[in-house]
Amino acid sequence: MSAVLANSSSAPSLFARFMSAAPLIVFMVLLVYLTVSAPNLLEPSTINLILKQSVPTVIVCLGLACVVIAGGDDVVSGGIDLSIPATAVLCAGIIADQLTNHDASIMTAIALASGAALSMGIANAVLVVFVGMAPLLATLASSVAAVGITKVITSSRRINVDHPFVIYIRDADMAGIPSAVIISAVFVLLFTIAVHRTRWGMQLQAVGGSREAAEVSGIRASRLVAQSFLIAALAGAVASVFVLARGSGSTPGSEENLLLEMVLATFLGAAFSPRRIVTVWGAVLGAVLVTVLSVGFKSIGVDVFWTGCIKGSLILVVVASAAYTGRAYT
Amino acid sequence: MNEVVGSDTSIGSFFKALFVRFGFLVIIAAFFAFFSIYTDSFLNSSNLLNIVEGSAILLILALGMTLIVTMGGIDLSIGIAMDFGAAFAIVAMKDYQIAWYFAVMCGIAGGALIGLLNALLVVKLKVSPFMATLGTFFIGSSVQRIFTNGGGPISFRRVAQEYRDLAVGDIAGIPTEVVIAFVVLVVYFLLLERSVYGKRMHAIGLQQSAAVVAGISVRHYLFFGFVFASATCAIGGIIGSANLRMFTPLAGYSYLLDAIAAVFIGASIHPQGRPNVPGTLVGVFFLGIVANGLNLMGLNFNTKDALSGIILVVALALAVFQKRLR
Repeated sequence: MSAVLANSSSAPSLFARFMSAAPLIVFMVLLVYLTVSAPNLLEPSTINLILKQSVPTVIVCLGLACVVIAGGDDVVSGGIDLSIPATAVLCAGIIADQLTNHDASIMTAIALASGAALSMGIANAVLVVFVGMAPLLATLASSVAAVGITKVITSSRRINVDHPFVIYIRDADMAGIPSAVIISAVFVLLFTIAVHRTRWGMQLQAVGGSREAAEVSGIRASRLVAQSFLIAALAGAVASVFVLARGSGSTPGSEENLLLEMVLATFLGAAFSPRRIVTVWGAVLGAVLVTVLSVGFKSIGVDVFWTGCIKGSLILVVVASAAYTGRAYT
Repeated sequence: MNEVVGSDTSIGSFFKALFVRFGFLVIIAAFFAFFSIYTDSFLNSSNLLNIVEGSAILLILALGMTLIVTMGGIDLSIGIAMDFGAAFAIVAMKDYQIAWYFAVMCGIAGGALIGLLNALLVVKLKVSPFMATLGTFFIGSSVQRIFTNGGGPISFRRVAQEYRDLAVGDIAGIPTEVVIAFVVLVVYFLLLERSVYGKRMHAIGLQQSAAVVAGISVRHYLFFGFVFASATCAIGGIIGSANLRMFTPLAGYSYLLDAIAAVFIGASIHPQGRPNVPGTLVGVFFLGIVANGLNLMGLNFNTKDALSGIILVVALALAVFQKRLR
């Protein structure tokens, strides 16, 4: 819809150049402001806390990055998966319910959760690839179904979890670095290599760049798009363990904030990348920065009700600047 | 993009065309029959009236969504516009003792504010409608939390009877909210399906670049569309607030996906697969029938939520798949 409205002047005006740097400027200003008003933000213990807090967002961002890279970065007709946070919360609910209410072993719980995530991924892939729904509509609908199923499983109640595995993920550290951060770093590395360093990753990027061109050159585009949705759903399952650890249990409704952070971080990451495209590294960096802001605002005593306002405005700054600089990813 | 149904005239292709066009109506009929058989009270005339009355607010919001989708966009902030409509009207009466009809205007203006923000973002800053309205959604939700100190409702028990009657009264035996929804329906039908403005909006939605070449002022239409749709949604919020005599923060969110679903179900029964006003009406009634039927089956609240979510996914998938068969 915005394609035609896009900037038609060819020479970048001063304003356009300012707009293209706006997300970076806004973020830097916010960061400087936060470090000045909360000096302990840069202490190692706070940085550890921030990294640990950011793990669930980082993992779901990895999944979303895959879908966006495979589907193209037009939000409406390209790839997007809004159901990853709902999948993560669904899996967290399943694991919490199994561990606390059914005395299941951690392996059973995780296996069940992975099964649920896999069916979410298959559902999304079928809806998008086979039925031909717009990913936006398909994943919005499937996320509502997932939230509904989560309610049935958890009876809309909070379930506390004190299983040693979850406590380990929450508390343990190796050489001063939280184990959750190390585990997520491994995932980040895996995704980076898979998407940016392998033949499969190159094909994924080709499909996202131009589906027609990719198909003409013999790449099976639908299969790759379907795979990206499966990977995204499994990323949701992985994130669920960290969601559980972060909250010491499953909490109904926690998917909304995760969704906000995921979308903000992934598209913010694109603003940081040189070619303004969604990348794995960009998404991870975005996720960490978004958490820095959350923790920072909390530590200087900004009311938690304001965070939606601040993050929502940030999304708009990022996408408006991208639209102004003429990249079509908005 | 949308091919006209083939000119093949054999009997088989006639039935296929019939299924492709009316397949969704068959699904609605199946649900109707299922609920009639499995619940005692579904077919009662009072229950059927319940379905109509219960669909009024959703219909109003879905019509606003139809306008935006017709122009090729999407509006994720219709729930926020609805909330703002309710909040502005209730606060105007409670804190400023304003007459009820001025309060209604305040409410509509409050909703239009949300549309104005969307329109500025989409038209001036060239943000895609999805991202713009997503941002508006988060900002609007946050503003409501800030304003109500975390999301507590603002109730106003001594609301004028005339205002209350917007939801609970009736005109010549027909519930007022149904009458209001019907008026909105007629206005949208005339605007989108019978006026040159509607034709231009469809043109913008089908191919924006062609619309520009044809001399349509796309910016003006988009601007008007977002403001008009949000103002419409505010009417839904006002009816909701009149019913409960309170403003419930974030209440509009629950209508968002239903409104989107109604529009896409409606598009699936259109010959060219376009969003359209009569189709949206059918979509709204389908959702109303499912919600009402599941209620009557006496299911647990959580189970009902899950089931309606799954039915929604399947219904949308069928609607889109059917559109694709053409």
